[in-house]
Amino acid sequence: MTEALSVKNITKAFPGVLANDNISLSVEKGTIRAIVGENGAGKTTLMNVIYGLYQPDSGQIFINGEEVTFSSPRDAIAQGIGMVHQHFKLVPSYTLAQNIALGVEPRKGIFIDEPALNKSVKAIADKYGFQINEREVTVDVSVGEQQRAEILKALYRGVEILVLDEPTAVLTDIETKELFVMLRNLVEQGITILFISHKLREVLEISDDISVMRAGKLVGTVKCEETDECQLAEMMVGRETIGGRMRETKQKGELIMEIEGLSVLDNRDLTAVKDASLNLYSGEIVGGAGVDGNGQEEFVEALLGLRPLTSGKIRIDGKEIQELSTREIREAGVAYIPSDRYRSGVAVEGTIWENMVPGEYYVKPYSNGLALAMPEIMMMSGTLIQKFNVATPGLDAKTGNLSGGNIQRVIAARELGLEKAKVVIASQPTRGIDIAGTEAIRQMLIDYANRGAAVFVISADLDEILSLSDRVVVFYEGNVLDAGYYDETIRQRISWLMTSGKDYCVD
Amino acid sequence: MGNVDLSSILTLSLFAAALRMATPIIFATMGGIFSSHTGIFNVALEGFMLIGSFFAVLGSVRTGSPYGGLLYAVIACLVAALVFAILHLELKANPIIVGLAMNIVAIGLTNYLLTATFNVWGVYKTDLIIGFQEVQIPLIHQIPIIGELLSGHFPLVYFSFVSVYIVYLVLYKTPFGFHLRSVGENIDAAESIGVNTKRMKYYGLLVSGLLCAFGGTFLSLSYLTMFSEDMTAGRGWLAMAAINFGRMRPVPSMIAGLIFGFADALAVRLQQFGLPSQIVVMLPYLMTVIVLFISAVVAERRKKSLVAKQNKIDIATPLQP
Amino acid sequence: MIKNFFDKAKNSHTWKENLVNLTTQLLNYLIILIIALFIGAVVMFLSGKDPIAAYAALWQGAFGNGYRFADTLDRSVIMILAGIAGSIAFRTNITNLGLEGQLYIGAFAAAWAGFTFTNLPAIVHIPLCMIAGIIGGALWTLPVLYLKMRWKIPELVPTLMLNYIAIRLTDYLIAFPFRDPAAPMAGSPLIAASAKLPKLIKGSTINIGFIIAIVLIFVTYWFLFKTKIGYELRMVGLNQDFAAAAGLPVKRSIFLAMTLSGGVIGLGGALMIQGFFGRFLGGFSSGYGWDGFMIAIIAQNHPFAVFPTALFYGALANGALTMQSVTGVPQAVVAMVKGTLVLFVTVKVFVENIRKGLRKWAM
Repeated sequence: MTEALSVKNITKAFPGVLANDNISLSVEKGTIRAIVGENGAGKTTLMNVIYGLYQPDSGQIFINGEEVTFSSPRDAIAQGIGMVHQHFKLVPSYTLAQNIALGVEPRKGIFIDEPALNKSVKAIADKYGFQINEREVTVDVSVGEQQRAEILKALYRGVEILVLDEPTAVLTDIETKELFVMLRNLVEQGITILFISHKLREVLEISDDISVMRAGKLVGTVKCEETDECQLAEMMVGRETIGGRMRETKQKGELIMEIEGLSVLDNRDLTAVKDASLNLYSGEIVGGAGVDGNGQEEFVEALLGLRPLTSGKIRIDGKEIQELSTREIREAGVAYIPSDRYRSGVAVEGTIWENMVPGEYYVKPYSNGLALAMPEIMMMSGTLIQKFNVATPGLDAKTGNLSGGNIQRVIAARELGLEKAKVVIASQPTRGIDIAGTEAIRQMLIDYANRGAAVFVISADLDEILSLSDRVVVFYEGNVLDAGYYDETIRQRISWLMTSGKDYCVD
Repeated sequence: MGNVDLSSILTLSLFAAALRMATPIIFATMGGIFSSHTGIFNVALEGFMLIGSFFAVLGSVRTGSPYGGLLYAVIACLVAALVFAILHLELKANPIIVGLAMNIVAIGLTNYLLTATFNVWGVYKTDLIIGFQEVQIPLIHQIPIIGELLSGHFPLVYFSFVSVYIVYLVLYKTPFGFHLRSVGENIDAAESIGVNTKRMKYYGLLVSGLLCAFGGTFLSLSYLTMFSEDMTAGRGWLAMAAINFGRMRPVPSMIAGLIFGFADALAVRLQQFGLPSQIVVMLPYLMTVIVLFISAVVAERRKKSLVAKQNKIDIATPLQP
Repeated sequence: MIKNFFDKAKNSHTWKENLVNLTTQLLNYLIILIIALFIGAVVMFLSGKDPIAAYAALWQGAFGNGYRFADTLDRSVIMILAGIAGSIAFRTNITNLGLEGQLYIGAFAAAWAGFTFTNLPAIVHIPLCMIAGIIGGALWTLPVLYLKMRWKIPELVPTLMLNYIAIRLTDYLIAFPFRDPAAPMAGSPLIAASAKLPKLIKGSTINIGFIIAIVLIFVTYWFLFKTKIGYELRMVGLNQDFAAAAGLPVKRSIFLAMTLSGGVIGLGGALMIQGFFGRFLGGFSSGYGWDGFMIAIIAQNHPFAVFPTALFYGALANGALTMQSVTGVPQAVVAMVKGTLVLFVTVKVFVENIRKGLRKWAM
């Protein structure tokens, strides 16, 4: 066995964070090495150092035993390292072949030799056993096929070490299986793969060795067949128990929100939600699981009046609200924590107080007629900011200067602080937030349900769903499917529903 | 108005005039397309063209040749484009605001130089300005209808249509165009394969300037051989509407440019029939708004019918048994 | 506990920090101003003129004596209104580049009300003309609003097109239906004396329009920052998705911001007709709509900053005439200087470096 890649004593710091702390590891040629760790453990930073996107503060990189330095990804590619990012770097209007060969196109005079281009792409795809319609336009093909194109793009450039950043995050179960077959194929042909993930079961399925990172440090490297999920989990999270169940199931109260036969179109006017029904009860937390892009966003936006319904009824306390404006729906008692806090959660250029009062500024005592009542607004904002532990220099500070976790606290304070809402709709409430912030936000939601509200948490993070929910529904291709109440077997039911739309195993 | 019949308006010479009127718009449109494909919506086309018009006159007077004028215009427009590029790409200024300010600077600069160099106010018209000569295309100009329509134009008229083909070839058939368009569509993709995205944006803006120089030169050294204050009269904005209409594709954008040119020519023609000039000169601007409106309506219609079809398929094959 | 929080909040934003921010802004504008004047000087020098004499004459023309200063103030009235009109739209993230056209329509509407009604007392006639101006300017934004709100057509190109259409439309109106053969250039009939704005000082053109402009600055500040509707406009401008998700009336805000913007510049047109020209003249505006765009951008859409910026622009406009007649330097150079200011105003490097330097020095 020969060593394909190794790094020695890599350290990389960002303002306030030591992202990689003295990391050393070495990878054998023709193996799959998984790098696992929590969000923010430093996996992606390490990969970006290896790929030349970041320059390490100190440390060395060796390829096939020789030391290399990269000043850009170009150098890394020249040395045979390719990376497939979570967000594909494909040009939407180009064909897959054009994307794969972009930058190294076969030429004929000053023009691109299109037939030669298609042929060479086909040849590479065949060599590694990739199924691909190279002449299809990129926007028209499935995510799985786009990912195959992205991998082929690296292989087309003669890459021998392939870094995959969370490759399964965007894939369906079946696509994941197909990917794993392809990866095995690649390894047999001598390609070395670095596989970043936080999904332990997948890692155990595909890799040869597993390196675990935590808080910027390499905790250790283990052989796949010598370890199991429990050991890895402990290495990943240390002594702390995160992702455990925080919710004690309570008895649900009366029916608050009824959603009946809801159908909604997406931005391209295609059906995104089909005839979905859901009831939300007082004191109950309902989890909405599902892979991103299965209609969750459109469903939630329809509930808030941000997206027109094509059919269906929504009732709060028996009163129909589907025809009302967003403001009227909110006045009927709906709080909303949007999934993308920077896009629709706050105005980042606005001050803290401006982001605290959009639900109240127009009613007494926060306004008197035409004018805003600033003392009342400041008093209310200040009280809530303090109650929800937002770390900010002041109410006049620019919201965009706060950390992601603090911005989410601002939103939670605004939506939950005055305790007016009967229904809370929280979409991806802890995405991209550190562990302490995550726990705090989850606790706020639990407390709020305990006070008698109906809480609906939508999350692509299954651990979050399992941590909070009394009952779970699954979004699958625009359908809202019932996974039932929380019990020991719910995880299995959810994963079946998420991947096949059926709550029994289809294999 | 009663004695005006349609056939006396819609003559061949009207269509020939439309080609002529469309020429500067098409040049500016092609220039704008180039920078749009690098992700910069260039709102300085109007100003670039105006600068081109003035320096073409200056160059023509100084060198005694329209080609000297063209050279002056090209150099001046490239400098203007370079200033835009440096402000936006190096000093990180907002491209829309810089572009709009470029137009204001262009008006001020050309008006100032007009008076400072030629000692006239508002309009400069003299025999010292040597314009281009019309070109008779050998065989074609003898063919009855086509000859009248296509022959006897100024060289830049032909070149504007050639430029459409060149822009098409460069953007869609060469590796350079491929890389350039990837910058506008997905800058991460471009960066990931090692395209120097900043350099591409420079190219986009400089080509914008180059083609606007041709458009400006045509305005002041072809049909009219003169310079007058603000003589571009919004043709740069019309070009932006044409790009919008054509979704940055050269040929559809050119068609929009031709429509605007036709409206321009029609305005001139209607004036000769005694319609109030103030009303008919609104025509190209009204036409622009109408074209934008129609393309929005058509786009919505098309989307709706497409969606109806797709949704039908969706419903016909239920996912749940 | 709450009191503590506020104390803490106050202390963290120390006066030092505020001073650094203010000084940074002032120094930044000073640098940009010097660059713009320098570029203007270079152009003048290269074309064989004496830039120093030109700038001196410019200063004399704008501030040389009390009357000239008063005229400068009068000139700045339209600049203030244009700047405020721009600020209201830009703050709501609407690219209203149609100020020029709205100005023409507003001015014509005011002139029409001025020459059509002849038997009204001034106390009625003056505000009537102003209201006509406001309505005219606001109405001219409606086609753009329709295209934007119903068909999602970005407002940039339509507003520009409506500028050309408005100028030609008013040209037509004064050439045919409302032509006054006695006017020195193409123009409407004179407005009635009862519609004219009373002058403030004899010997200068300054009139009560100036007072209206000053009041409008405070009203706009109060409106934008202290009222419910102003809050809505600003939030829609900062992040429309956020405003929609929070339940703010987005469509109403866009409609209101655009029509208010048109109304304010329309009022500006009315003040020019009623206070200065006395009739509608073809091509009366030397690009005041574009001045409004520039002033709003330089003032970062803040009404209090609009005032000094507009005053500066008014001084340039007024002084340019003297400069041209005394030194023979064409006044167009002023337009160049104004445009150059805006070229540099969104450049961030000066601000960043000044702030860094000041921090090091102050802390």
